[in-house]
Amino acid sequence: MSGERARILVVDDEKVIRDSCTRILTTEGHIVKSAEDGNIGLEVFREFHPDIVLVDLKMPGKSGMDILEEIEGSDPNVVKIVITGYATVSSAVDAMQRGAYDFIPKPFTPEEISLIVARGLERRRLFLESEALRVEQERIRRNMISLVSHELRAPLAATVQYLEVILGGMAGKISSEAKEMIDRCNIRIKELLELLSRWLNLATFDPDKMAEHFQDISLSNIATESIELLKPLAEEKKISLILEKPDDLPPIKGSKVSLGEIFNNVISNAIKYNKAGGWAKVKLYERDEEVWVEISDNGSGISEEHLQRIFDEFYRVDGRRNAPVKGSGLGLSIVKRLVEAHGGMIDAKSRFGEGTTFRISFPKFFQRQKEG
Amino acid sequence: MTQKKRILIVDDDPDFAAAIQKILTSADYHVDVAGNVNDGMKAIKEEIPDLILLDVMMERYDDGFNMCYDLKHDDRYRGIPIIIVTAVTEVTGLKFDPQTDGEYLEADDYVQKPISPEALLTKVARLI
Repeated sequence: MSGERARILVVDDEKVIRDSCTRILTTEGHIVKSAEDGNIGLEVFREFHPDIVLVDLKMPGKSGMDILEEIEGSDPNVVKIVITGYATVSSAVDAMQRGAYDFIPKPFTPEEISLIVARGLERRRLFLESEALRVEQERIRRNMISLVSHELRAPLAATVQYLEVILGGMAGKISSEAKEMIDRCNIRIKELLELLSRWLNLATFDPDKMAEHFQDISLSNIATESIELLKPLAEEKKISLILEKPDDLPPIKGSKVSLGEIFNNVISNAIKYNKAGGWAKVKLYERDEEVWVEISDNGSGISEEHLQRIFDEFYRVDGRRNAPVKGSGLGLSIVKRLVEAHGGMIDAKSRFGEGTTFRISFPKFFQRQKEG
Repeated sequence: MTQKKRILIVDDDPDFAAAIQKILTSADYHVDVAGNVNDGMKAIKEEIPDLILLDVMMERYDDGFNMCYDLKHDDRYRGIPIIIVTAVTEVTGLKFDPQTDGEYLEADDYVQKPISPEALLTKVARLI
């Protein structure tokens, strides 16, 4: 949209309305295209990229309501104005609930259509300005986070690198006591680095960008790989790992890395917050349009007051510095975001002292919703 | 006696570079260090190294990416193996993704800062 010269699409089955709109709006300097039914209208819409669409609600074939919904779905910032007969004011209200910005009753005068289009253009201008502002703010925020995180990481990385050199014996002999202490320093700084990268991942997480790289993923494979990876931890804690899956589980659309992170995170919790001789079970199944994952254990369980908050950032059930199981309190909040980025849902049920079950559902056919 | 293999470290963090240099010299490599892209290019023009360890964020946040791209698109230098060494993980706002951007950058390998001496030496030995 440059200056006051806007691109306007008119969809109406009455030739007289199309022609009069075109004449009035072209005279005002706008670029106008028209279509006599909904299907043609949507075709023109996709190629013409209008700023404003005027749609008749009552047309044979595809209804005006359907057109509104499709346009709203593909670009909610396009201003939609409904043209309607006297008898359909109530449906005009209905249309506005579906994203229409305004309506104009038939018949209308040239002044009326000019005024309503001018108002619509003002609306469009505000939409575009605020959108540009939002994108710019987001870009600045992300760059800030990346730079700050780099500044924080660099000295830690250099320090750890020296410690590795010393521990590797490349800087001469050290006493076994000193070695032990340096070992601890190394571990503590690595924990800090790990915390930083988790926080960074969370702060810069962009579900839209992630969805661009989605591919067909077999959750059976992800679960198998995750269990394989966690086997040493389970053996150390004397926890048996069980996998239950059908042979014909359909694939879902997703990111292999992120889905792996979800499984690793929840299964490792089931192992860590458990007691020797316990079990952790992963069960996969298909139900309706979804693939379900249940990860349960017979471990320590989570009491009701904690259960409500386990998906909160930095929340830890045992937040003491000397807690037997260490963590950042970010694991499950990351899991929740990753699940939601796949269009899925996660919840947890638990009985204190008896165990916990996480249930995750993923849609088989994922389509990312555009944010309005 | 065969000549020592030459490795060039391009990194603006002198401490990190010194630590890496220590690891590599202990494995009997000859190691030079450059603190920025210009000095790095100067060193390469003087004598082509057998391998380059390249930092990403130096004076500019994508210096390392650009230098890597330039080297891999220059007939004189494209044969030098490059290992990108970075504290920038894959999901930052800088969009560094070894799977997709890696192909575009044509680096030979990637390591994350910090790195264990064994892992670094293994990666270097594989390429040199």
